[in-house]
Amino acid sequence: MLQALADGLLQGAVLSLAAAGFSLVFGVMHVLNLTHGVTVLLGAYLALLLWRILGIDPLLTIPLVAALLFALGYAYQRLLIQIAIRRASLMSTLIVTLGIALALRNVLTLVFSPDVQAIRPSYAAEHISLGGIILDVPHLLAFAASLLLLGLLAVILDRTSLGRIIRATAQQPLAARLCAVDVEHVFGLTFGLAAAFAGASGVIVGMLFPFTPTTEGYWTLYAFVVVVLGGAGSPAGALLGGLLLGVVGSFTVRWIGPAFPNAMAFLVLVLMLLIRPNGLLGNAFGASR
Amino acid sequence: MTSMTRRDFTRSAAAGTALIAAGSRARAQTAKTVTLGGSIPFSGSQANTGLNVYEGYKVVVKYVNEKLGGFKVGNELCKLDLQMIDDASDPQRAVTLIQKQIDEGVNFFLGSFSSAIVLPTVAVTERARKPMVQAGGGSDQIFTHGYRYSFGIYPRASRQLNSFVAMLKGMKPQVQTISIAVTNDPYGLPLAAGATEALKEAGIKLLETYKLPPTVNDVSGVLSEIRASTPDVLLAITHEDISTLFVQQMVSTGTDVKVLYMPLGPEIEQFRKTLGKYSNQLLTLIYWEPRVKYSDPIFGNAQAYYEWYKANSSRVWSNQSVAASCCIVCYVTAMQKAGSLDPTKVRDALAALDFTTMYGRVKWTPEGDGDPVLMGPTVGQVQNGAPEIVYPPDAATSKLIYPMSKWAERT
Repeated sequence: MLQALADGLLQGAVLSLAAAGFSLVFGVMHVLNLTHGVTVLLGAYLALLLWRILGIDPLLTIPLVAALLFALGYAYQRLLIQIAIRRASLMSTLIVTLGIALALRNVLTLVFSPDVQAIRPSYAAEHISLGGIILDVPHLLAFAASLLLLGLLAVILDRTSLGRIIRATAQQPLAARLCAVDVEHVFGLTFGLAAAFAGASGVIVGMLFPFTPTTEGYWTLYAFVVVVLGGAGSPAGALLGGLLLGVVGSFTVRWIGPAFPNAMAFLVLVLMLLIRPNGLLGNAFGASR
Repeated sequence: MTSMTRRDFTRSAAAGTALIAAGSRARAQTAKTVTLGGSIPFSGSQANTGLNVYEGYKVVVKYVNEKLGGFKVGNELCKLDLQMIDDASDPQRAVTLIQKQIDEGVNFFLGSFSSAIVLPTVAVTERARKPMVQAGGGSDQIFTHGYRYSFGIYPRASRQLNSFVAMLKGMKPQVQTISIAVTNDPYGLPLAAGATEALKEAGIKLLETYKLPPTVNDVSGVLSEIRASTPDVLLAITHEDISTLFVQQMVSTGTDVKVLYMPLGPEIEQFRKTLGKYSNQLLTLIYWEPRVKYSDPIFGNAQAYYEWYKANSSRVWSNQSVAASCCIVCYVTAMQKAGSLDPTKVRDALAALDFTTMYGRVKWTPEGDGDPVLMGPTVGQVQNGAPEIVYPPDAATSKLIYPMSKWAERT
């Protein structure tokens, strides 16, 4: 039981981090970003290159990967998403992001081949035993990094002027515009921030799990489930949703069978939509809308 | 401006007629094109192995067309035209593409990769009475529907692990217990069912069978149970990505077993490269390896094939690529034996094949899968980063390392 709980929490923290960017974009802009999974994988592939060519530990590549993807995310929002929203509607972003995700998946296949890749740092084989509970070091480091990064995101959103502007724009875009806030620029920054955190989570994903370009769908889908469970817009919601999903999956494997964690995750998703459609913590920016 | 006289006109007409006649003779001398159709997962979840299969097809077509200048069917010179379309690892899409090719007049088909795709496409080619020779699907269901036009290079899945279980039976210290982790798909389930039956006959106790969903990125729960039940052997019937995950998480959680057997994964170079020293001592099934000394009707022998493959493919050989090459060797041989490009006659010639190729002996069962004795796999073990055959003894290229070293003791 304790081993299953530990496994679930370790797994859940990674799911939380991987979903944080998706949650932010959905909470602030109401955009279901279907390129989210590809962004996670871009982070994984960038870390793979830096690790393989320069021998840099994947965890140390996080700032660089996040910075690169921040720039990419900002440009993506300003040059594509914003234009799609302006010329068509918010719904059109679904098609645009789906199309871009498919194109990028194929670009990744062309560049990196469809072969299974994994990042194996020197500590990949280490584990510790605490009272009979086995905790592997990569998962522990990933857990710590996830909490740290989610904490950082919470600080950015709650304690910085950028965070205040993002929250204000999310709650009342028109009022923000009247206060001379460049709303388009803020949306771009939000997308950039989301891409940066998705990329950072990709580094951790690449360190823990084998990946191919086709695994991007998994990360988009599970980000969606995490957001529905925890609530959109806040790191706390993503953390809660991710941990819940991780523990549900782990307990399902332990007591029902390893074939059913995905089925159970979607059962919980449906129940949550019926009982509490806004997730456990609700929409972080929804109250004053 | 000059006007054309009647004589000029007659001369021109004669010259034109001669040119047309010459053109017709030239066309008569050019080779007839034999199209080999089918789909391949160039993208999607099976793309890595799909590309291996495609490379196997590609190198033989190149050899036949460019090196041999074609092949004779009766008195007619023929060249091959490979028309493989991307099915994106999607069975439904593959079915649509194959049907489209049938409608366009393609008569001969090669297989895609993974049983989940081959299974529905075989039904389509069977209905159209067009042969399909494939090296991408081993599911029992492909061979138990009474199909007559379908031929698989591999024995059906439920028979593929007989050699492995026979090896376990003779190992010292004796193997007592085993657990199976299997992906819940048309390839994995019959393989596990066949292994379960063979294990029962061998008197090895099966502790647990863990069924995994096709998409999974955490097996820590399964590994916790394995640490608790301590089987001697873990048989992981999973595709390459999940096999990688299994080894990664077994290593990082210190989950040790005496034998770890994975039918898919360790035979692929990328898998071994990714896992480095942790891929050593893993067991896998091996259908072919470059040191075999088989003769071949097209390449001469296996070594010549291997050299050609290396020189003409960007991907390292794998079981699937060599088996895929064998599919085309079978087609060419059957067409020559039939002396015709009529699909039914070629089908009959395929069914009657019993010959040696660079892949080994080819002889189908009446249901169309590879004969389990003649075309069954050997047991391989990764040693110093490369696969070696360790069972049966008469085919062995190296001695089995047993039990496996503990993960923490690997250097």
